[in-house]
Amino acid sequence: MKPQHLLLAALAVAVMAFAPQVFGGYGVNILVLVLLNTAVVSGLNLVTGYAGLFSFAQAAFYAIGAYTAAIMVRDLGTGFWVNLPAAMAVTGVFGALLALPALRLSGHFLAIVTIAFQTIVYLVLSQWNGFTGGQSGLSILEPAHFFGIRLFRIQHYYYLALALCVLVLVVVAFLIHSRLGREWMAIRDDETLARAVGIPTTRAKLTAFAAASAIAGAAGAVYGYMMRGVTPDDFTIWLSASFVAMMIVGGKGTFLGPILGAALLTIAPEMLGEYAQYKMFFYGIVLVVAATILPGGLMGLWRRLRGSEQ
Amino acid sequence: MDLFLQYLANGVVIGSSYVLVAVGLTLIFGILGVVNFAHGEFYMLGGYIGVTAVTIMGLPLLAALPLVIASAVVIGYLAERLLHKALKDSDPTNSIIASFGLAVAIQNAVLITLGPQAQMANIDVSALNLSVGSVYLPGNRVLVPIVTALLIAGLYAVLHFTWTGRSLRAMAQHGMVARLCGVRVERVAIVTFIAAAALAGTAGMLMSSVYSVHPMAGNMVVLKAFTVVILGGMGNIGGAAAAGLILGITETMTAAYLANAMRDIVGFVIVILVLLFLPNGLFGKAYDRS
Repeated sequence: MKPQHLLLAALAVAVMAFAPQVFGGYGVNILVLVLLNTAVVSGLNLVTGYAGLFSFAQAAFYAIGAYTAAIMVRDLGTGFWVNLPAAMAVTGVFGALLALPALRLSGHFLAIVTIAFQTIVYLVLSQWNGFTGGQSGLSILEPAHFFGIRLFRIQHYYYLALALCVLVLVVVAFLIHSRLGREWMAIRDDETLARAVGIPTTRAKLTAFAAASAIAGAAGAVYGYMMRGVTPDDFTIWLSASFVAMMIVGGKGTFLGPILGAALLTIAPEMLGEYAQYKMFFYGIVLVVAATILPGGLMGLWRRLRGSEQ
Repeated sequence: MDLFLQYLANGVVIGSSYVLVAVGLTLIFGILGVVNFAHGEFYMLGGYIGVTAVTIMGLPLLAALPLVIASAVVIGYLAERLLHKALKDSDPTNSIIASFGLAVAIQNAVLITLGPQAQMANIDVSALNLSVGSVYLPGNRVLVPIVTALLIAGLYAVLHFTWTGRSLRAMAQHGMVARLCGVRVERVAIVTFIAAAALAGTAGMLMSSVYSVHPMAGNMVVLKAFTVVILGGMGNIGGAAAAGLILGITETMTAAYLANAMRDIVGFVIVILVLLFLPNGLFGKAYDRS
């Protein structure tokens, strides 16, 4: 990583830290979602963008994280700083479980399994009334604490989400430049060859899924606290579709792509105003257009433009 | 035992609708290699055409069949342009994203224009009511397996005894060689999509009198159809027909004897297990998945 990149990143974080002073409550609300979505999509990008494995189940992990926190609050009465790592651990385990079929499958087969998993999670959340609260969900009434401060305002959650997002991006940057990241890319580019040169593909795939889902789980726990509760309809297949759209539009397999995509596709629908009902329709069209004419996303376009200049 | 037979009959009715959707899905995959996540939308649109024909135009249900086929020609053609022709030279995973996006777009277009409320076609086909021993099936349900059997038999005949069918099968075996032998690949692709859309649309139309139709109806159906396609072996039409009935019956039995809430989950659990242990499906021949 070049020093000027580090400087730019520090500048971006500083600007983001000031944002709540500029924007009102509504703006901050949207920015929190941008931060959480950035974290979740960056995680998804590890699996799809780097390891080349399709997953339409990222919203399911987001849900498992949020529900783990909510259920622990209800049954154990534990606080946020216990529930957050617990949510990450539980989602990480579920991610590794989903990766078991992924070890033998790729492409559309894997896409189907992840959609099936997403659907199963949604059905369990909405129908297991005794454990998950069914359609009406669960509430998290006790806010998170931070060194004695009760985090009950949206601005508090903004900084929590910012910290999480920065941490996730640092971990992601570290992972993709590590040996593990190069193993993922080798699997994506040619799995047979990767295995032939001695890359432990099983371990690499498992860790990609576990890391992506643990990140989604952490974001889900923060989301649950911020919304003061969870309902199954927060975590439908549509949310998974949105995460995939963000990744594709930004550019999969790039570090900046998920950030761009999450920011663009979270903020753009808010600009639709009275046309807000067209949001999912718009996402669908965006996916089709991106897949047909812009498979590399915005980052791919950027690279192409820079390439043609030279 | 009496109830068991009744459940079995209900399972066959529901399974038949899965067969119609899944056979088209497996055709598109087997012949063109496209994984069409928008396939459930063909079903959903067929359902709305059924409701419109019966409730608004006052036609008998089967009179909606020409309408379904006409719309399948349009939708199938457009879907082929978008999901197959436009993506032919790109990474195959792009068709997964594109068809998923198409499904999202169609569902939400319908949601915006027709609203979220579920609708149902109330038809009177009591002439077909079936009562054998303790098993009773109302006419609208009897219609489903009958039409399914006719369509599958028709499809089989077309595939085996016409030149169009032969070129479809040639494409399924080897696209490049088929092209060299003079198969018009473009036309085959369009015919495949239109036929698949018509089959799924017919299923939606028939089921619009059994279940209500809503904009998201295709979601669950396409997942069920994928379950069936995987159980039957990707690209295997006979396998899809058998697996569709098996899934329908399994679901009905699960709902009856275990718990109604488990009904939709059981299929997905089965599909994950099958992919883990029998990746070529229950009836699959060894199939190259690379």
